[in-house]
Amino acid sequence: MTEATPRILAPYLSQFQGQTVRILGKVVQLAGETAFIDAGGKVTLDLKTNRDCHLAVGNAVEIIGKVDSNLEVKVFTSTDMGQGIDFDAANAVVDATHKYKEIFYE
Amino acid sequence: MSYGNYDSYNTTSYGAQGGAGGGGFIPGDGSQNSPSGNKGYGKDTLRPVTIKQLIDAQPMHQEGEFKVDGAEITTITVVGQIRNISVQTTNITYKLDDGTGTIEVKKWVDSDAAQNGSETKLADNMYVRAWGKLKSYGNKRHVGATVIRPIADHNEISYHLLEATVVHLELTRGPPDSASKGANTNGAQGYQQLGYGAADDMGPTGGMSATAKKVYQCLKTTPQTNEGLHQQDIAARLNLDIAEVSKAGDDLLQLGVIYTTVDDVTWAVLEMD
Repeated sequence: MTEATPRILAPYLSQFQGQTVRILGKVVQLAGETAFIDAGGKVTLDLKTNRDCHLAVGNAVEIIGKVDSNLEVKVFTSTDMGQGIDFDAANAVVDATHKYKEIFYE
Repeated sequence: MSYGNYDSYNTTSYGAQGGAGGGGFIPGDGSQNSPSGNKGYGKDTLRPVTIKQLIDAQPMHQEGEFKVDGAEITTITVVGQIRNISVQTTNITYKLDDGTGTIEVKKWVDSDAAQNGSETKLADNMYVRAWGKLKSYGNKRHVGATVIRPIADHNEISYHLLEATVVHLELTRGPPDSASKGANTNGAQGYQQLGYGAADDMGPTGGMSATAKKVYQCLKTTPQTNEGLHQQDIAARLNLDIAEVSKAGDDLLQLGVIYTTVDDVTWAVLEMD
């Protein structure tokens, strides 16, 4: 895992191809080795790389994973964030981290 | 790494003890001690920061002190995920990752707390908030933490990062207000906040007194005929002394942003478009 994992949302995926990122989203659907979360748009998760992550539909989850060439995210770790996440605030954080990069990412 | 800790204890508690331990009361002794003993006490702050800011922090001349955004940091707080826990005899070292970088956070083992089991609540991948001071040992930096506690509400992660951003912006760009105009008196500033949207329209009022600004704003925003407003009317609306309004009016007339209508004390705004 690289040192910094930028926080992103669905629209940023293409910009971060090949990089390890952090995505906070709401679990929409589980389908075997893939899952879909809503993070400012639909994000497809590839769970083959980590079969231990327990996703619960309807819960917020923070994913650390790598954006592959199909703009799917290979999941390394996931953290369940429960029900109470304020997505407006979380999305504002993503905005801030890209606007004021100097304190977040190189 | 313990040296940094002891140094800071020296300057605060020992300095204070000096007065008491010196025996005999000497007037002024206490106050003589305090400037050196409490050095840096006044600028003690609790800064929310990202781990990247700690990694990028600039060392100051004095050993063990750092600057972030040009401001000295004393106590800092970070929120991150535990990536590794290594239990040693004297301390527990947690590797924290907040997405912007990773840093080691060391917490001294408190034998009392260990018995209560309160130290064992922390586990890998858990989000925690730590409070402490940035230390440097050899070439490696770590946080000497006083408190580390798990995060119960995950929104705290968002708000910590936003808070760190606000503090960073305030230190690098100044407080939100000063961005619009520099040397305002208090009264004018309050007024500008109210009519922030109209700030552009206030172009010609730059550099004039607070009262003049108020009078100008009043003339601009109060519904009126083409005769404008009488200075008594303005004084009543703004709850100001008539002499002040009169003087403000003179200034505005001189600047050419208002003009007299039916008589010398009835004014209207000169529209420039």
